[in-house]
Amino acid sequence: MTLRGKIPFLAGLAVALGAGWVGFPHAIYRSRPQPVDFSHKVHADKAGTKCEDCHSFREDGTFAGLPTVDKCAGCHAAPMGATVAEKNFIDQYVTPNREPRWAVYARQPTNVSFSHIAHVKRANLTCESCHGDTGSSSTLRPYQADRISGYSRDIWKVQTTQAGKPMAHGMKMADCVECHRRKGLEHSCLDCHK
Amino acid sequence: MKTTRREIMMFAGGSAVGVLFTPAPWRLITDTALWSENWPGIPVPARGEIRARYTNCSLCPAGCAVRARCVGDQPVALAGVAGHPLSHGALCPFGLAGHHLPYLPSRVKQGPVKEAAAAVADGIAKCGPAEYIVTLDLRPARTASWTYRRAMAAIKNGRYVTPSYDPPVAVDFAKARTPSSDRSAAVDLAKAPTHPSDAWMAADLTRARTPSSDAWMAVDLTRARTPSSDGSAAVHLAKAPTPSSNAWMAADLTKARTPSSDRSAAVDLAKAPAHSSDAWVAVDLARARTPSSDASVAVDLTKARTVLSLGVALLDGWGTPGNVIAARPGFRLIQAEAVESRTASMADWWLRIRPGSEDALAQGLAGTLTRAAAAEATGLAESEIAALAAELKDNGPVLVLGSSRLESTGRTIVTRRETPVPAEWRKAAPVTGLASLPDGSIRVLIIDESTPGAYLPWKAIEKKLVADNPVVVALAWSREGYGRHAQYVLPVGVYPEVAGDIPPAIDSVAATFRISTPLVAAPGGCVKPEEFIAGAAGLPLTDTLHERADAIHKTGRGTLFTYADAKSAALKDISAEDFWKALNAGGCWIDTPDDKAAVARLAPTVAQPRSSEESELPLAVVLSQELTPASPILSKLYQESNLRLGPNRVALPPSSGLEDGTQATLQTVLGKCAVQVTLDAGVPAGLVRVSASPAILDLCADGARAKVVRA
Repeated sequence: MTLRGKIPFLAGLAVALGAGWVGFPHAIYRSRPQPVDFSHKVHADKAGTKCEDCHSFREDGTFAGLPTVDKCAGCHAAPMGATVAEKNFIDQYVTPNREPRWAVYARQPTNVSFSHIAHVKRANLTCESCHGDTGSSSTLRPYQADRISGYSRDIWKVQTTQAGKPMAHGMKMADCVECHRRKGLEHSCLDCHK
Repeated sequence: MKTTRREIMMFAGGSAVGVLFTPAPWRLITDTALWSENWPGIPVPARGEIRARYTNCSLCPAGCAVRARCVGDQPVALAGVAGHPLSHGALCPFGLAGHHLPYLPSRVKQGPVKEAAAAVADGIAKCGPAEYIVTLDLRPARTASWTYRRAMAAIKNGRYVTPSYDPPVAVDFAKARTPSSDRSAAVDLAKAPTHPSDAWMAADLTRARTPSSDAWMAVDLTRARTPSSDGSAAVHLAKAPTPSSNAWMAADLTKARTPSSDRSAAVDLAKAPAHSSDAWVAVDLARARTPSSDASVAVDLTKARTVLSLGVALLDGWGTPGNVIAARPGFRLIQAEAVESRTASMADWWLRIRPGSEDALAQGLAGTLTRAAAAEATGLAESEIAALAAELKDNGPVLVLGSSRLESTGRTIVTRRETPVPAEWRKAAPVTGLASLPDGSIRVLIIDESTPGAYLPWKAIEKKLVADNPVVVALAWSREGYGRHAQYVLPVGVYPEVAGDIPPAIDSVAATFRISTPLVAAPGGCVKPEEFIAGAAGLPLTDTLHERADAIHKTGRGTLFTYADAKSAALKDISAEDFWKALNAGGCWIDTPDDKAAVARLAPTVAQPRSSEESELPLAVVLSQELTPASPILSKLYQESNLRLGPNRVALPPSSGLEDGTQATLQTVLGKCAVQVTLDAGVPAGLVRVSASPAILDLCADGARAKVVRA
């Protein structure tokens, strides 16, 4: 077969490789914006808040996760500044006392049991160890979820598109396993999986 | 340029090859697998604020304390209760996943309740004089069991039957004098200590040696009449003629009929003071039965320095897991078993004996069988048996589990007081065994299968049913048990949907009372077994758990351990109302230890002679686990991995000639059923390890003979 005869085959090969490596990793996720344009950086720098001021532990040690709008209303009962984002937040959520439907990047699937207090208080991990620079971000990037499994991209990513790049943060199972293995805490599946 | 069909095919071929070298197909496979985890019907734990609720696990008699993490009304995780004096904060894998059980795919949620009630009423009305109305209780000694017994007492020809009618008997051997060699099976009644009023002994002379030909007094219970109100058909030795100095008394209870009270077929040692020093009675516990519900036996692991377990799954389901683990450092465990079970693998010394040779080993150690004969039967070396005997002699107190041929020493096995019940409940039907009922005599059979318990093969039950239209009602949450054979299967709640108490575990030396408080509501169509059976008998519906709690409170004995604060308080300092509230909010009443508890020993089950047909079957059966329902959600551990054999699976050695996964037929003398083969190098040749599913339990028990052939 001549080279000319191989061109359709090679073209098909190239298209498939391109679609598989470039197009598919984007197509597999669906995006949705966060309900509020929230800046961790502003809250950290100007208000001087720390992570645990809003993402706190309950008295029994369980992690409260995202703060409720009541917590926000403590400071934002009236607009703080004149930005459009601030006005929207007050009008749509604080005043009607309605909870924003945050999409949680780090939301683990239901077959995973993760204890924040064990990692923060006992293992003394910083928030950045897993959540990266989220705490200093100026805006919230769109939430991306796998179209089929429904898992967040932050916990279930097509690794190959990031080949060679250092991981910004790790909340995928491979990251958990790697850290547990490094610290000699790799015991059994049931440590994390229900 | 014209595109040819060939070029299109080439392009498609190139694409197909190319796509295999991208993450797309592999990612789609895993994504689809993950998607399947969230199919409709698969429960999704709620998210939100977590609060703790407390209950007790009713999956097995251990009744471990449970702390449930709940989001709203939904339990999302279960754990033990730290500081609990009995369960010590532990919970087994079954208990950890107990909140999954309401999602069992085999659950029965609807049933013909009205039709079943009408059929039972009709059966009671038509019951002939030689026919019986029977309640089969798979988990006896609960408060519900007392309701069943009272219901059966209220019905003409009512009988209360439990599967294991060979539980331990309360016998005090502490001060029994060892007779001379020709009086080996005898116990000195004259020197018998004062027994507590609830310590009864069943005496059987069928195996006693006759010390002299003319000095026996035989008591034939087949002609015994009710001597007193509290011990019908029992023989009161106090009323027996005082024997002479050489007189012996023989009481053969094997022919005794079951009387109406719960002190059936018993000889009351407490009333036998009038014997001279030479008056002996021969006691054979080999065929003894528990005569009374208020004298049970408990094992005190903390008193043992050496535990010899003859095939007992001490570390894998026997007793209370936390209690066993807590006591484990205090004793050396010697496991004699044919397979390397989980207990054998964790024992200090595993003696790999031949299947079914436990009794021979015990006899060899007790000296009733020569070492050589014992070695030949067990497959052990004589030196091993000698070493074992020396260890048992030198490292006491010794606890022997699984045989009464070899007695335990010290106070490792003692009697335990019964958890109090209201006095009016005592007018109840006695506990009887299925074997005591004639074949073809059961007109109505109601089976309470709501809590996991012992299992009677259906063949044994079936032959007891009347020939013409018997009524069989199974109160069950699954059709996989007796529901396969019953005309009516009525749905009941499963743990943790139902309220009920859990009788004390075998390793609890004090009586207990703890309630399995529901964590979730049962489906709407479910029946409460107590209400159904009490209704059939016309008993008024009352809150029996509350009544029993009040009866306990009246005694003022013991302590209440509350789970939320892990504290104990004396019962006498707590009001009846607070006691009831605490029991429902996570609490456990523990009786005051009985300082006068008698030393007891376990009565063995009599081995039935094996038929020649059964003896020809090549494999010995080893049951792999208790009949406990496993989580339907932890599929990787239980259903797929075979870490525990799944239902209808058997494990054979690789040398069996069958392949892993082969569809096969398990055959015993009772029948056959389809099974799937798992090859396991840990199973020695000549054995088959089977799961304890109802279909298999219908065919064989531990130690039976079987054959596995390709289907």
